[in-house]
Amino acid sequence: MSTSLLVRSSLPRALAHRAALRSVAVQARANSTVPEHKYVAGGPIPKGGPNDAVTFPPPSPTHGSYHWVFERTLAAALVPLTAAAFVTSGTNYPILDGVLGLSLIAHSHIGFDQCIVDYLHPRKFPVLGPATTWALRGATLAATVGIFQFNTNDIGLTELIAKVWTA
Amino acid sequence: MLSHKALGLSTALRQAAFAPRTLRNNALLRNTIARRSVQTKTIPAGPAADAILNQQRIKRPSSPHFTIYQPQLTWIGSIANRVTGVGLSVLLYGFSIAYLVAPGTFDSTHVIEVVRDLPEAVKYAGKFILAAPFSFHAINGLRHLAWDTGHFLTVKGAYVTGYLVLGATAVSSVALTLIK
Repeated sequence: MSTSLLVRSSLPRALAHRAALRSVAVQARANSTVPEHKYVAGGPIPKGGPNDAVTFPPPSPTHGSYHWVFERTLAAALVPLTAAAFVTSGTNYPILDGVLGLSLIAHSHIGFDQCIVDYLHPRKFPVLGPATTWALRGATLAATVGIFQFNTNDIGLTELIAKVWTA
Repeated sequence: MLSHKALGLSTALRQAAFAPRTLRNNALLRNTIARRSVQTKTIPAGPAADAILNQQRIKRPSSPHFTIYQPQLTWIGSIANRVTGVGLSVLLYGFSIAYLVAPGTFDSTHVIEVVRDLPEAVKYAGKFILAAPFSFHAINGLRHLAWDTGHFLTVKGAYVTGYLVLGATAVSSVALTLIK
């Protein structure tokens, strides 16, 4: 017990001694010929690497406020469209059926796009982000053509849901 | 009884710590202490250093954030809106693309036949599994549109509308499931 007390009292002195010696070593290393980015007050900041500031896309109303308005208008329009589709049948009102199908696909596309922007932003995923965006565009195109074919050559979306629901 | 290993001091440093004061300024002692057991190498700042930094950053742990946030009606409702929307959209896209690729297999007669031949319990379960996300997404969508026009944009408003949405979703899902 007494030996441990002895050690504890001399420990700070030993560590201070070690710190003083270490500063000598640091000075010796700083004088070596290694190129560094010295801080210059108000001077140039070295660019490149992950410490750069975030870049922002140029402001554009098409991707900003017009996009927002279109998204909400489409969502609001889906309410009466769905209600109408519930009470009528696609066979009697094929135009309503087509408009509903298109609006649903457009609404889904915008929703998927928001997910890509949130989870796979091109800033962080420089390859996967744009690739997913283009894959989504291809899928939306294919889905639009598919829905059109289904509404033309077959009974249509609302009729299908009604028949499957009561099958 | 503390040993020198438990203290973490090297033998030389321990001897220096206990040595009389006159010995501590000895040059020999200074060299013994200043010598390191690890060799370091300086890399100038640039892509090589950044590569090592990025490797270290990938291995670094981050503090828990998403796993410890208290579940609340606000963000649970928000992510549920997204999950239900994505799920329903995947179904829509899946069916449309499937019909485009194979109209013979996915035409309405086949689909209705397959569904008709399922057991009653499976049909009810399937209808509920489709009706619940659809109801929640549609009614929560109305809540979002109300926010977009500037209404209920307070904590109390969000919670009142949130509970209303949950109640309406339950009623609507049951009603839709029971449609024959």
